[in-house]
Order: sequence, then structure tokens, then C-alpha cells
Amino acid sequence: MSEPTVGAAPPPEPKPSRRPPTTRLPAAAFLLSIIAALALAIVYWQGGQPQAEGILLSVALGGIGVGVIAWAHRFLPPGPDVEERPLTASSDEELERLDRELIGSEEEIGRRRVLVRLFGAALGALGLAALFPLRSLGPRPGRGLRTSPFTSGDHLVTEQGERVRPGDIAADGVITVFPEHKVSDADASTLLIHLRPGQNRPRPGRDDWSVDQLVAYSKICTHAGCPVGLYQAQRGLLLCPCHQSTFEVADGCRPVFGPAARSLPQLPLDTDDGGYLIAGGPFSGPVGPAFWDQLR
Amino acid sequence: MAAAPDAAEAAEEAGHRVKPPLTPKLVRWFDRRLGGARLARKTLDKVFPDHWSFLLGEVSLYCFVVLVLTGTYLALFFSPSQATVTYSGSYGPLRGVEMSEAYNSAIRLSFDVRAGLVMRQIHHWAALLFLAAIVAHLARIFFTGAFRRPRELNWMIGVTMLVLAMVNGFAGYSLLDDQLSGTGLRVANAIILSIPVVGTWVSSLAFGGPYPGPDMLQRLFVAHVLLIPALLGILIAVHLALVVRHKHTQFPGPGRREDNVYGQRFWPTYTAKAGGLFFLVAAVLAALGGLAQINAIWVSGPYRPADASSASQPDWYMGWADGGLRLMPPWEIRAFGFTVPNPFFPGVLLPSVVFGILYLWPFIEARFAHDDVEHHLLDRPRDHAVRTGIGVAAFTFIAIMLLAGSSDVIATTFGISVNAVIWILRTVLLVAPPIAGLVAARLCVEVRRGEGG
Amino acid sequence: MTGRLRPGAVGFGALVALAAVAFAISYAHAQDAGGGARARDPALVERGRVLFQTGCTSCHGVEGQGTDQGPSLVGVGAAAADFQLRTGRMPLAVSGKQAVRKPPAYDDAQIDALVAYVASLGPGPAVPDVDVGQADVVTGGQLYRANCAACHNAAGTGGALSYGHNAPSLLQATPVEVVEAMRTGPGQMPVFGPDAISDEEAADIARYVTGELQHPDDRGGFPLGATGPVPEGFVAWIVGIVVVGGALRWIVRGHHV
Repeated sequence: MSEPTVGAAPPPEPKPSRRPPTTRLPAAAFLLSIIAALALAIVYWQGGQPQAEGILLSVALGGIGVGVIAWAHRFLPPGPDVEERPLTASSDEELERLDRELIGSEEEIGRRRVLVRLFGAALGALGLAALFPLRSLGPRPGRGLRTSPFTSGDHLVTEQGERVRPGDIAADGVITVFPEHKVSDADASTLLIHLRPGQNRPRPGRDDWSVDQLVAYSKICTHAGCPVGLYQAQRGLLLCPCHQSTFEVADGCRPVFGPAARSLPQLPLDTDDGGYLIAGGPFSGPVGPAFWDQLR
Repeated sequence: MAAAPDAAEAAEEAGHRVKPPLTPKLVRWFDRRLGGARLARKTLDKVFPDHWSFLLGEVSLYCFVVLVLTGTYLALFFSPSQATVTYSGSYGPLRGVEMSEAYNSAIRLSFDVRAGLVMRQIHHWAALLFLAAIVAHLARIFFTGAFRRPRELNWMIGVTMLVLAMVNGFAGYSLLDDQLSGTGLRVANAIILSIPVVGTWVSSLAFGGPYPGPDMLQRLFVAHVLLIPALLGILIAVHLALVVRHKHTQFPGPGRREDNVYGQRFWPTYTAKAGGLFFLVAAVLAALGGLAQINAIWVSGPYRPADASSASQPDWYMGWADGGLRLMPPWEIRAFGFTVPNPFFPGVLLPSVVFGILYLWPFIEARFAHDDVEHHLLDRPRDHAVRTGIGVAAFTFIAIMLLAGSSDVIATTFGISVNAVIWILRTVLLVAPPIAGLVAARLCVEVRRGEGG
Repeated sequence: MTGRLRPGAVGFGALVALAAVAFAISYAHAQDAGGGARARDPALVERGRVLFQTGCTSCHGVEGQGTDQGPSLVGVGAAAADFQLRTGRMPLAVSGKQAVRKPPAYDDAQIDALVAYVASLGPGPAVPDVDVGQADVVTGGQLYRANCAACHNAAGTGGALSYGHNAPSLLQATPVEVVEAMRTGPGQMPVFGPDAISDEEAADIARYVTGELQHPDDRGGFPLGATGPVPEGFVAWIVGIVVVGGALRWIVRGHHV
């Protein structure tokens, strides 16, 4: 391949006469940068202030940028220059020389088929063994995904750990509750909602799942796991802020809009001898977003 | 250069003592140790074509440099630990609140470390601009056909860097363990869970157990600070080496041919302009970092899995995926006790298809256009109506999904029902991209006809 | 004279005792759901009734019992009426759409009268007495993020609800309005009763809203609407296109030949 030559391209048409370039703009830019950098050091020394830091840093950097570019515009050769660009592909001669070097290796591989296969298997086995440390990254996915956060008899508590009585929630009210000893469990948050008389339309077999117009549903959206925190009391809807899945509370939290495809699981409610709310059993279905074998 | 001897003569004439030039001494000092004077001269003489759109890749490179510099500073203060601590710093409304050490260190950095907040904000703005520059650069490469032979490998490296940058940005802002990013991690986990057959395994291995997992932040930190930046660094080096190898493409014009490069020499002019651009990009990021508040984690509060805020979105470059999740109708496949959950389709399948097509595009186009010769002259978008139309359709599709990601913000800002917004965007998503593509292709043809082409 | 109390002193003491008892009784009554001592002022209630007849009966019925245009006001309490009237939500401008904050249609005296009348229709929450000076902003913030941010947004700028409704911005609310809304659940808002969120906690939330949210610590710069990644993404693109794009053109075209 021939060495690329750099030559001057045909000169551009003469531009209308301009004042000869001066060093004024680049010099001023650099000067401004110096002042800004000094000011920045002072601001920092005095305790700092975000807006001042940002602006001064910006001017310090920008002054250098403007100065260097303005210098280039005024004093450095503007070109245009030309360079030869050879074809990327090599000449046939070179390719054949390379072929000759490599083809021997291909033939060797062809002759030693057993060795090649064993070699491949050895690399493969090593690769497989190397995957095993990855196995230690986490436990087998299992019980946690399927276990209901509530079991029968668990007390419902607030985030502060206080047990809840039915009278604590006003009509049209909602609070978030947790199983008594699992307040920090990411899947345990549950909504306790006080519906108006006659509003609830329990699913078959769930007539006794409510206590004093109170119903409880998992707060973890069955779509992608965000907490369904928006309760529209007048329309009896729960709205998830992430992707706008909407659930109708009175109808077993059936999804009525958005991407969620499953109702929020319901928690049966009961009260203990002291009048505190407890779970009457586990959730009606798996909590949270779906996965491959969730229903098995 | 010719100037030096004249200056020396002039100075001599004026009676000043002439200093011998430093250049020959420096050159020989290095050459005795490295050799390669010829290689150096060839490099300095390399010609780079001059067009503003050819600088977009550089803008993303400089954003990456700023990210590494500011990121290194931040990593000296941030602690990726999920251990619970009680806040005792200077921000009153959080004093006494329990939070992870990660969130605590981020708040401390923002309020109690001098210039810490500015560094954090510059870092985050740099990430947003990094992705924007990459996308703009990708669009330029696509619409001018710069991905054609011999540059297909470089295109694929570029797409890989786009994916890595997106992932790293998401990992970065999720490290802070604030309410907004924690919500996003929950959604990411749900998407991973939705992968058929192996989803639960991948989730458990990645998070170290059921969500949130005890090592979640630690692993994000290693990925964000070490693994992905190292990969990006290597890929950037290869990407630039290939550009040097192939030499840069150029638009057709007077004097420009397939077998030459017409522009400016690398040294000194191009170097000066490129170096100056770095400082300008850094200046823009510094200004944003000081003047525009971003990710005010003290308002969103520490992450609690039981809470969420309205207007929860990921950063813009993930917004299209979130939009897909919002627009997807409630379809789920359930058969024989197995489920293919709803988030799988917009969260796994669609991005795989999009990036799959993106990766293979040079080969797809070469096949359908029956064109696999070397190209170094670029197409103007109007010269290739089919490609331009398809590209416009694709960008329209992604843009609408991006819009859908802000559905509730659109609803509140314009006073429209969020349900209506979603229904409208579902329709527009299906209808607008083909229309936009056809219109764009038609425009190309019309403009060329007007030129007599 | 020593040793014997003067008749005047005894009389005066009895008067004071009587006054104290009367005050205690009326104070105790004022705390009940009847809407406070003012509700018992018949003249105020009558003035309210007159205003009610002219401005409210078309939707709420002649005796506030409700029609298909508007709900019953029996038992909503002084707090609900006070909230709706002071924020200007009532009278409703357009029936069927969500009530929004607007300049109140009545002055303070008229509002007091209407509130007294509505309170007299049936027992309901009284206008709360909110003292944010003693309230705890830290607890307020935690409770706000746990109970309120889902609808009203972590920064209090409001958020979208279903089917055209929205949770409004809290940036203009007074402490009393915040607590009134919690106790009465206006519109789509649920009710946060005193057994779920105590009066102290409600004051804490009111302090957080009127303090931190309405006067935010924006030390990072322009808050861009405090709506998170959406405006941030816009700004990145606009700055990118305008500023960086402009810089690129200058770099390439700015040569002095």
C-alpha cells in the first residue's frame, strides 16, 4: 500500500477582505478562565455554594475551550487538506500469503479430529466449572416467592408496630399494615380499606373475609411489584403509580385498566379476643408480580 | 512549519538573542526511547473531514471522561451498603430517620461535603447528555449510511456501548437507594422474573435472594464503577482504533471521492478544535450541575418497599421501556400451570427485538439493497429514501414509547385523563410510525426530484 | 376585719367559680363534633342558612340533604364546609368535573356563617386547630411519604388519578386546609381519621407540607418543576441540541481565512 500523501487541496475562493485576526478573543477567554478559576478557589475556601461553584467552574472550563478554538480559527492552518484512502481489503497477493500461513493450521485441525474434540470438550468443561461460582451468587428461588407473608392468626400492625382495631380506620379511609413480625418484608405491605356499607361485593367464598366493612388486599402490584398506593375513595379504585394499573376494590380488586392481569390477592380478616385485627388465613393468591411457575 | 525560521531570522535581525527551538530536542528524546518518528508524522498528517455532525461521537466521549472524573470523586464518599443507620447529618427533616448507609452517604455527600452536590449533579447531567449524544450519533451514522462495509463491526461495537451506557446509567442512579430509584429496581426485578423458565433463577442470583436481596447495592456498585466502565473503556478504544483504521467517512462534494479524505489535518488544527470541544462540553455540564437541580433525593426520601410516589419514572433513556410497560394491554399467557407474565413482552421481548434488528441492520440492509461494496462517501438522508423512512418510523416508535413513559405527568400537566392519554398513545403507537416513515420517504423522493436528482 | 369573709368577697368568689364552671362546660362542648361554640350561635347559623338558600340549594337540596347534582351535607361537619369554601372549590364552577382551588366566592364572615350552618345539620369533624410551631417536621416527612406522596407526589406538586381526576398540588395549602382535607376526604381523597393519624401527627404533616414542601431546599439549582426525570430529560435534550449543537456549528464554521 502506498503511503498516504497529504497535499494542499485547490485553494478556496478568496473571501471578501476581513480584518486580520487578532489574539483578542482567545486572550480574553483565557483571562476570563483564570479569573473564574481563582474565584472558584475562593468560593470553595469560603465554604462553597453550589450555584457559584457550577457557574465559575463552567466559565473556567469554557474560557479554555473558547480560547483554544478561537486560536485555532484564527491562527492555525485551516486546510483543507487531502489524504489518500486506500481500499480496506488487502491485495489478492497479500491475502494468498496469509492463506498459505493459516491453511496449514486448518489442515492440522482436520487431521487431529479426536484431539480437537477433546480439546473443545476440555475448554467446555472448564467453562462449565467456571460457572459454578455464579451459583453461589444467590439461593435457589423457592419458598420466599410463594409463601404468603401472613398466616392465620398473625396480627395486623402499622409500620410503627402497633396493633390495629377495626375502629381505627374511618369510613372511606385506608392505612398500610404489615404482619406483626415482618414489617420490613418487601412483599408484606397490605392495604386495609374501610368501604361504605353495601359497597363490597365479595367474591364467592369470601363473604366472611371482611370485618366491619374493612377489607384487606396486598399492596404489591401484580404487574411489576410497585406499591399500589393511590386509593380513590369515591370511586373505590386503587391506582398503581408506576404503570397505572387500576383495581376495583369492591370487586375483589379486579384489574379494570392498565397492564395488570391479575387481581390483588385478598387477605381474610378476623379479630382476636382483644378486638385487634388478625389474618384469618393466608392471602387468596400469590403476592406480587408473576413468574414462570408461580401457579404450580 | 515555515514560520519558525522566519521568526528566528527576524529576531536575529532585531538584535534579540535567538533561542534554539525546543522541538528537535523533545522529538529526539522520545524517539530514542520509542522510535516511530515516521508513524508519528503519519498520525499528525491524518486528515479528518469537517462537519458538525461528525463531532457527536466526540461529545459522547467527552461526557464519558467527565463521568469517570466526577464518578471517581463520588466513589470516594459513597458507601454501597444496605446496613440500616440513623441519619445524624445537617439536613433537618431527615434527622433521626432510619435509612440505608448508601442513602445516608449520598445525603451526606450532597449536604455535608463541600462541592459534593455539584459533583453529584454534574455526574448525573453528564449521564443524561452521554446517552443523548450517543443516540444523536447513532442517528447520524444510521441516516448517512456510515455503518456500511467496512464499518459493520464498528456499528455493532457502538450498539453494544449504547446498551452498556443505558445499563450503567440505570445502575448508577439506583445505587442511591432513594424512593424513586428503589421503585425502579423493583420493576427491573419484575421484568427479570418474567423471563420464562429461568427468570426466578436469574433474579435470585442477581439480587442474592428474593427482592431486595442483601447484596443488591453492592453488586450494582461493582457493575457501575468497575465492570461496565472497564468494558466501555476497552470498547471505546477499539471503536476509535477502527475509525483510524478505516479513516472517517465524508459527505460527497467537490474534490471528495471514495478513495480520498478531504478535511483538516489532525495536528494542529483538528486537535485544537477537538480539545477545545472537550472543555466546552465540560463547561456545559458544569453549568448544568450548578444551576439545574437533578434527582433531589432528600425530597424523595429513603427507599421503603411499601411506599411510592406519583410521577415515578426512570431516567429518560429508560423511559421508552417504562412506556412500553404502561401501554401494554393486560395480556398474560397462562397454560399448563405456567405463566408468561405481562412485563415479559414490553420489558424483555420488545427490547430484544429492537436491539437485535439494530445490531444486524448493516447486514439486513446490505442484503435487501444488494449492496455490499465498500463505502466511504456518505449518503445524504434524502439519497436513500427507504432507509430514511424506516429510520424515521423506528425513531417515531421509540419516541412515542418515551412519551408514554411520562403518561401521568402529561395527564397532570395538560389536564387530560391519564386513561385517555394511554388509549391515545396506544393508537398513535400503531399508526404514527408507518405514516411518519412513509411521509419521510416521500419527502426524500420529492426533495431529490426538486434537485433534479 | 379579720376572721370573717366579707359578703362582697364571697359573692365575687361565687361569681368567679360560676364563670369558671360555665366556661369549662362550654369549652367541653366546643370540643365535641358540633362544630364548636360558634356553631351554637343561632344568629350565625341563621345568616348561614340564608346564604345557603341562595348559593347552595340547587345542588345540595333545600335542607342540605343532597340531590343528584350534589351530595348530602348532613354530618360532613364544619371542617368539610370550611375546606371547600376557603379553597374556593365550592361553589362548583362546572358540575361533573373535579372541583379545583380558585379564589373563594365568599368572604371570611360569610364562610364562617355557612360553616356554622352546615355544622348544625349534623355532627361531623370540627374545624381543626393546627399548631405547626410545635409540630415535628421529621415525623411529618415520614408520614407524608408513607401516606400522601403516592397521590400528591413526593414534592407535593400533585399527581394523576384515574378517569380525569387528579390529586391537586399542595403548594398553596394552609396548615388548617391540610388537616381538614385529611379528616374529611374531599373528592377522591380517602379519609385519614384521628385514630389512624392522630391530631399531633396531622399537625406534623401540615408542618412538613407548609414548611419543607412549600419552601423547599433547592440548593441544587432550578427545581425544574420538582417532577423528576421527565423535565430533567427534556432539559438534557434541549441543552444538548441548542447549546452543544450551537457549539459544534461554531467549531466547524468559525474559521477566519
